[in-house]
Amino acid sequence: MFSSRFWLRREFLTLVVVLHTIVGRGVADDIKPLPAAVDRAVDFTTDIRPIFAKFCDSCHGADKQLSGFRLDREGDALRGGDSGKAFEPGKSAESLLVKYIASLDPDILMPPEGEQLSKEQIALVRGWIDQGAKWGVETKSVTGQASKHWSFQPVKRPAPPVVKKEALVRNMVDRFVQARLESEKIEPSPEADRSTLIRRLSLDLLGLPPTPEQVAAFLADTRPNAYELLVEELLASPHFGERWGRHWLDLARYADSDGYEKDSARPYAWRYRQWVIVALNRDLPFNQFTIEQLAGDLFPEARPDQKIATGFHRNTLTNKEGGVDPEEFRVAAVVDRVNTTATVWLGLTLGCAQCHSHKYDPLSLREYYGFFAFFNQGNELDLAAALPGDDKAVAPTISEIAPRRPTHVLLRGDFLRPGDEVPPHTPEVLPPLGVAADQVATRMDLARWLAHPQNPLTPRVTMNRVWRQLFGQAIVPSVEDFGTRGDLPSHPELLDWLAAEFTLPTLEMVPPPRPNTPPTFRGPWSLKRMIKIITSSAAYRRESKPRADLVDRDPKNTLLARQNRLRVEAELVRDQALAASGLLHPAIGGPSVRPKQPAGVSELTYASRTKWVESAGPDKYRRGMYTWFQRTSPYPMLMTFDAPESNIVCTRRERSNTPLQSLTLLNDPVFVECAQALGTRVYREQPADLVPRIDRLFSLCLARNPSSEERQTSHDLFQQLRSTLARSPTLLGKLIGDPPVAENAPGAQPGATQKSSTSSEQPLTDDQRLDLAATIALSRVVLNLDEFVTRE
Amino acid sequence: MNPDTTMTHPESLTGSPLPRRQFLGSAAGSLALATLLRDQGLLADDAGDNPLAAKRGQFPAKAKACIYIYLEGAPSQIDLFDPKPKLNELDGQPLPESMTEKVRFAFLQKETARLMGCPRTFKPHGQCGTELSDYLPHLATCVDEIALVRSMHTEAFNHHPGQLLLNTGSQMFGRPSIGSWLAYGLGAETQNLPGFVVLTAGRGTSGGTSNWGSGFLPSSYAGVLFRNQGEPVLNLANPGGVSSELQEQTIAGVTALNRQRLAALHDPEIASRIAAYELAHRMQAAAPELIDLSGETKETQEAYGLGRAEPELEGWRGGPKGCFEAFARNCLLARRLVERGVRFVNLVHASWDHHSNLDRELGLACQMADQPVAALIKDLKQRGLLDSTLVVWASEFGRTPLGENRKGFEKVTGRDHHPFAFSLWCAGGGIKGAQVIGKTDEIGWGIVEDPVHVHDLQATFLHLFGIDHLKLTYRFQGRDFRLTDVGGKVVNQLLG
Repeated sequence: MFSSRFWLRREFLTLVVVLHTIVGRGVADDIKPLPAAVDRAVDFTTDIRPIFAKFCDSCHGADKQLSGFRLDREGDALRGGDSGKAFEPGKSAESLLVKYIASLDPDILMPPEGEQLSKEQIALVRGWIDQGAKWGVETKSVTGQASKHWSFQPVKRPAPPVVKKEALVRNMVDRFVQARLESEKIEPSPEADRSTLIRRLSLDLLGLPPTPEQVAAFLADTRPNAYELLVEELLASPHFGERWGRHWLDLARYADSDGYEKDSARPYAWRYRQWVIVALNRDLPFNQFTIEQLAGDLFPEARPDQKIATGFHRNTLTNKEGGVDPEEFRVAAVVDRVNTTATVWLGLTLGCAQCHSHKYDPLSLREYYGFFAFFNQGNELDLAAALPGDDKAVAPTISEIAPRRPTHVLLRGDFLRPGDEVPPHTPEVLPPLGVAADQVATRMDLARWLAHPQNPLTPRVTMNRVWRQLFGQAIVPSVEDFGTRGDLPSHPELLDWLAAEFTLPTLEMVPPPRPNTPPTFRGPWSLKRMIKIITSSAAYRRESKPRADLVDRDPKNTLLARQNRLRVEAELVRDQALAASGLLHPAIGGPSVRPKQPAGVSELTYASRTKWVESAGPDKYRRGMYTWFQRTSPYPMLMTFDAPESNIVCTRRERSNTPLQSLTLLNDPVFVECAQALGTRVYREQPADLVPRIDRLFSLCLARNPSSEERQTSHDLFQQLRSTLARSPTLLGKLIGDPPVAENAPGAQPGATQKSSTSSEQPLTDDQRLDLAATIALSRVVLNLDEFVTRE
Repeated sequence: MNPDTTMTHPESLTGSPLPRRQFLGSAAGSLALATLLRDQGLLADDAGDNPLAAKRGQFPAKAKACIYIYLEGAPSQIDLFDPKPKLNELDGQPLPESMTEKVRFAFLQKETARLMGCPRTFKPHGQCGTELSDYLPHLATCVDEIALVRSMHTEAFNHHPGQLLLNTGSQMFGRPSIGSWLAYGLGAETQNLPGFVVLTAGRGTSGGTSNWGSGFLPSSYAGVLFRNQGEPVLNLANPGGVSSELQEQTIAGVTALNRQRLAALHDPEIASRIAAYELAHRMQAAAPELIDLSGETKETQEAYGLGRAEPELEGWRGGPKGCFEAFARNCLLARRLVERGVRFVNLVHASWDHHSNLDRELGLACQMADQPVAALIKDLKQRGLLDSTLVVWASEFGRTPLGENRKGFEKVTGRDHHPFAFSLWCAGGGIKGAQVIGKTDEIGWGIVEDPVHVHDLQATFLHLFGIDHLKLTYRFQGRDFRLTDVGGKVVNQLLG
């Protein structure tokens, strides 16, 4: 009776030879009493299955059956293994299973190494056996019955937990976090100081550092809701759409070229990017945001911007190599659309079901192609659509073909092996699509279904990602997999509360930032509203400093006793350097640009037809998200700092820490230019005194004053750099980056205003030039600090 | 910084209360290696701040470095390493149902599949007489150095899980790669280059960085990917106006301020960054010399195949124009890296996934790889480096003796995935060469002698480096993880 999704696996594994010895060990000094069975009703799917999956499956599951025992299927588990029956339903105390997991047998302990089951877990297993060892209904899900897996259950707004320390609770989010901390007897870290908070908020919400003036204003703001007002101010900034748009573009696998061998340019891909930025700035409700991207073309009177939104699924790779079968790559693009949609909205690895029924999740091959059928009617259409203020430009969109293209199950995922025809339909384990039986469901139906408040996955998956972007770790760590093999939520009730609040808001809005503006109404599906709630919590505001007392107890900071320190994303490394130095050209949107690259990069790419012609004027100082993304030779600085390759959906970026990153920050021409501009800027602002100049440098780059020790170190370092520079006057000019005044005039760079203006004023004395050069050298140091690339 | 590794990082520069290198044994009672080594005076005290400082293993090591040539996609063992005359006799015959009924395939339709003979010619080579196919004429001259394993097997059936199993010991994401484990366990013999370098030619792999990532180990142990186009490492030169003295002072200044931050926060990720800057600085001095191949003699360059004519590659899966040169250059660079003390060099090339058009595809891939790889072995040998350098040629699984009759294919011209029996080879670093290990049945379907699981191979590699695979562990999420997961047995026959 156990589903067919397992037996394929077993079949091929029968040939695999497994070599393994069970390691026994003495436990004489470690005899434990047998924990009593729990007295509540035990549910297999929620209570037991995760225990077996975590502790047992790797040796007694689908892949291996050591000692002839398999515990992931009812029949096998009841049958037992080489040592006989593992358990009799109703008799937990006598069972081998309990004996082994509770270390009652002096020779055998399960699992043989690593983490052991806790007393509570043993008590659950006992309770389950005593209550008849029922397997639950999960196993029948492929045949159409509901799964009991947590993420497929309807979202229910949980009752707020009771906490002892009310003073630590700022809003509902904190109740869930605090209750859990209290149950583990962990004290949360204190709130971070204000300069840390404003930098954290600015980086998280805008991706840009706060200016020293903004920091000063916030420090001086005595209003009781100063923090909330700051959040509102940032949410209202047009840079918000850039920052959160870039997160979305990771999911949309946005790029400016086709990929594959030819990798032709996509000069109008940016139209979609523009749409995302504008939509997020407008706080287009997420359900609408969803529907327009997946089916914006299918509105009865679709507006051009709604059609442009469908560019989401035009970011798939295109292969124009000679000799490729166009149908093969059309199918490949549809497959990518299916997999991306499932990952982004449902958190399901539907891709597995492309070639076979899903091994772990209740998704059949037929259901995959049912989902596929929604996208199989899509046609790539380049639409001439002008937005206000634009030149008439083309936008890549999706439209519907007519007549309908029938969809067949593709056996083993092979486009040349069509099987039965399938109508468009959604997985049975999820709520029904709600389309009458005699109607053919459309992409619009799918989009509305995904964005329906009753869909249990979309709000959970979305809130989980938002949480990750604000804490650096998610409530469900496997952000891309909410299926049965995915991670369980660390705070399930918190996640459900967020999901419920997202779709059906209850909280009142905080007053707007300025006295005379009306309150912003943020209703259902408002991302800004949820970001506001999360960032207003005490949990978000905590210090990020790691705690020695939690190293062993909570090494991954799962319980959120503190915030996390996070290396900022690739684009933000660039943006911060440009912003601090004053070089940043803050224009929002528009076509992609080509900033400076290290010598020898563009000449050697294989996609030589799209030559890298450096953008002129201030365009070369645009934010990193506007850098032209050529799939076969992406901008090296971005890749060095773990930007996604943009070939498939990316739900979580790496955060590596490599010497190549150090080399980039030290020597890449863009960062050298930033150091020159930054040094020139602070020198001009504070030409006479070094200490205020150092303070200014720290404020611009780190949004705080240096400690006295840091100030002293910087001071000494400045003198040291200065005397080194004094010994090499020829290098001085190059470091300042400014040719002598007479030669400068024709070649002045429009973007680098601070830089060229030094020479347009009083010529500097030799001593002043030395001060300037040493300030540039010191600026270079600050731009390379760990803290500079870290969101604290 | 990365919440996944925060606080599990072993290093602290400030004597903070963070635990040092967690070379902890498992709960089953194995010893904390670092403590043990330190107590026995085996671990240098100056291992200190540098997470990649050289350390010794648990017992004397044969191998000091590894060049791990990873041919992603599964090269056909039937066409390269495991001659099956019987298969040629049975060409066009169905496989007995008893053999196929219990297996599945990615694309192959087993009801109508037919055995596909191999048109290659196999001949014995060297003094040992190991048979190789005519697709590998250069490698054939090295067989006396090589241990060819014809009895490899794995659980993974699809590429990415297979790649992860081969390279990280687990089909799951997020585990450290073998190079990371070695860099973690032993550091590097150089202060001037990363301990673990990755060189790719062509397109890279579908698994990408997960094949050389550090997983839950600190990021200092991740493979450092050099560029595969143009300069292998960018930004090595000081910028205009920056003398080497000024650069040194700059980096010292960065380090001093970072140390103050570390003292305040105790975040091990700051220690990793300090180490990265120090390494970056040393790389500035060492890497230009490393990547400058002009000092290599013309003979050496030609031996590796640098500057040779590249055949027409139009439509080839193995990479775009220039791929042959890139692969040859990587092989030569690998020797130079090892010469300079790098612990682990991963040479990656994709794709050897020949479902169709196998003759041309595999032929070109071999043309690309054969000469440089053979030159590498000979070059290492000639320089006295082979004894201490383990060279591995590996892939995630093998290919079927059945021809791939995917529907819609006009002709059967390739083979499907085959995890049950495949071949790979290793040489040097304490490997006993001139031998063949294991045997498959007469059509190469199953193993009949000496099966070697991927974990066994990994255990053996660690053994060559003086490490007991059961004792190189890292505690994460309350569990002690190791490269070989819950398996692994040293293959004694491989040891010299």
